[in-house]
Amino acid sequence: MSGQAKNSLFPVVVIGLFCITILAGLIGTLLPSLNYLPVIGHTSFSLSVWFDFFSYPGIQTAIRVTLFTGLSASFGAVSLAFLFITFSYGNRLWKFFEKILSPVLSIPHAAFAIGFGFLIAPSGWLIRMVSPWMTGFTVPPDWLLLNDPFGISLTIALVIKEFPFLIMVTMGALGQLDIKKTLLAGRALGYKKEQIWLKLLIPRLYPHLRLSIFAVIAYSFSVVDMAIILGPSSPPPLAVLILKWFNDPVMSFKMLASAGSLFLFFMVMVSILCVYLIEKSAGVLRPWTANGKRRSFLAPIKPIIFFMGSTTFFFTAVSSVILVIWSLTWQWRFPDFLPSAGTLKFWEKGLESSFDPVMTTLLTGIVSAFIGLVLTIGCLEHNVTAKQRRTRNYTNYIPYFLYLPLLVPQISFMAGIQLLLVIMRMDGYWITLMVSHLLFVLPYMFIALSATYLAFDSRVFDQAMLLKRSYIMVLFRVKLPMLLKPILFSFAIGFSVSVAQYIPTMLVGAGRFSTITTEVVSIASGSDRRVIAVYALIQQFLPMMMYSLAIIFPKIYYYNRKGMQV
Amino acid sequence: MSLELEKVSILKLGANIFDPVNLVIKPGEITTVMGPSGCGKSTLLSAVSGSLDRVFTLKGSIRLYGQDILTLPMEERNIGLLFQDDLLFPHMDIGSNLAFAIKEKISRAQRNKMIDEALKTAGLEGFEKRDPSSLSGGQKARVSLLRSLLAEPAALLLDEPFSKLDQTLKAKIRPFVFSQIRRMNIPALLVTHDPMDCPEGGMILNLNKEEG
Repeated sequence: MSGQAKNSLFPVVVIGLFCITILAGLIGTLLPSLNYLPVIGHTSFSLSVWFDFFSYPGIQTAIRVTLFTGLSASFGAVSLAFLFITFSYGNRLWKFFEKILSPVLSIPHAAFAIGFGFLIAPSGWLIRMVSPWMTGFTVPPDWLLLNDPFGISLTIALVIKEFPFLIMVTMGALGQLDIKKTLLAGRALGYKKEQIWLKLLIPRLYPHLRLSIFAVIAYSFSVVDMAIILGPSSPPPLAVLILKWFNDPVMSFKMLASAGSLFLFFMVMVSILCVYLIEKSAGVLRPWTANGKRRSFLAPIKPIIFFMGSTTFFFTAVSSVILVIWSLTWQWRFPDFLPSAGTLKFWEKGLESSFDPVMTTLLTGIVSAFIGLVLTIGCLEHNVTAKQRRTRNYTNYIPYFLYLPLLVPQISFMAGIQLLLVIMRMDGYWITLMVSHLLFVLPYMFIALSATYLAFDSRVFDQAMLLKRSYIMVLFRVKLPMLLKPILFSFAIGFSVSVAQYIPTMLVGAGRFSTITTEVVSIASGSDRRVIAVYALIQQFLPMMMYSLAIIFPKIYYYNRKGMQV
Repeated sequence: MSLELEKVSILKLGANIFDPVNLVIKPGEITTVMGPSGCGKSTLLSAVSGSLDRVFTLKGSIRLYGQDILTLPMEERNIGLLFQDDLLFPHMDIGSNLAFAIKEKISRAQRNKMIDEALKTAGLEGFEKRDPSSLSGGQKARVSLLRSLLAEPAALLLDEPFSKLDQTLKAKIRPFVFSQIRRMNIPALLVTHDPMDCPEGGMILNLNKEEG
């Protein structure tokens, strides 16, 4: 009983963790931006930092690039996702996507960005594919395809990476709507499928996706690892510039970085507010919804959407293939389609030199995902008991806080946290690094596990309680083992979120910890493509490995239990 | 004596959902509560087992061997409950399912012996290592009952335990269930809408809706 009574502690800890870190982080960012940084003797509040920020050379271009990539990537991903659902829900392409979604999502942003770069670069695979027979190129063209000054390649890469995320969230939300009935009812009234989606389903789907869309906006504005690899370099997007300032040995640059972080935060909030206002004013479309027009004006773009949806997956798959090829290359002349000589030398070297970062990555990922799992299960258990007893349910409040770390640009509060840690002389500890990962690991794990966990048949639990009379025994011997598959899956998600973290590792780790992700990003520009490919593949392999374990282990463990195979 | 329900009524939004119930069930006796679906018979059962939803309020008293059990949480009431689904744990073999119910203080050897004997009484010798999903509906129902009884409950509640079995199976399982209950010598309360389910000579209570 005691275990059951005290489980309200879990949601309280989780909410506390989110509130304290984000609030502390934002305050830690705000004060230096107002010229208050006692460690270097700045104690008088003023707006001078802001003047410095806005007069920094190239700052307007940096802001413009961020605004362009952030807005167009979010808009592109969201509209592609909605149109793709409209046209392909339930068809073969959709079912194929359902199958390959997890491996696609498990690819870290940095690894994908590198593979994508290897494809679209002037000497990349795409141009090699059509050279010289079509283009006549015998040397790589002098085109600025990668790191283009407008951030177009970054935008496309972001769309390709955000689109499957939105599809995944949609698939989760669709389960809660009676899609088939609405489609049937709509068609019985003579509406085209696309019209039913646009007029009836998407308005109902949107509330379920709202927060994820906001998270996509925040991410697109504040992405750093992909922006370093694919984005323009002089000046880089704002988030990259902020990180550069932060890592500058001159302390006063940190104040500039704080101002930049807050400005980024402001840009994200304004964008989210705009989207929110658009949503609120969508009511003006009501006459259109009810105008009775049953034919779709969208039909002509159907093949385009199919093509674009499939292309995102094509790029994801081919960017992994090109990494494998490069990692095994000894010699590869332009414009040959394939390398002329291969070697394992770069794997040998890469595996050896990446050993320490890989260990740090594994340790941080496993520990943060494990703690994330304990907290998630604790919160969900509290939810179950509180509902049963109709007592105060703290877990109900969690979703409001869960999205905070995903809606506030990472760099905006991580920067403040790092400064506070420096002031308290607590920077550079592994434990703070791990907790900073936990902030991002936990939300995804919670979202991944809650629906399945809460759907657990309470009669099975009651029956076990009547037989065994011990809450802990029932939890650990009946309920959790029965939920092994979703639990391991959510663990794998948490782990892969941790693996992909770049900003928290850079800032909170204070340069003392390098993970495979920070290594990949730091060698991405200027190193040998073969070395980069090896590192990117190692980064890609880690989450893939955890997902495979999460799928295979329950199959082996319960190989003789048919009731557990569903 | 044994399982007593005295003036038990259940209220929802201040209104009784059935006439107050008075029942005395002696050890080895099986009393059947009958009534159409929605009359509150399952609710009555959950009041006894301790899983009554908080939207209901309970009046009256329920005693088990003289002890008032209403203040006790579900798992401390020492009552067994059999649902219409077998609810065998799919991740454990039959032996572990049964072992789960046996009290911890009992030694491993004794435990295995109890499981072995229990399976024998059900004609399921040697089923220890079997996967629950490999059993037929009737076999599962029997194992489920054995499991409830191995927990040595002081009383057993049965919530439409036969409703998911077909006619021929029902005819086989019913006598098995009733003979096991008599053998254990515990009071049992059976809830059903099928008159065929009532054991011969057992008491039958028809649950009536409160008039007005």
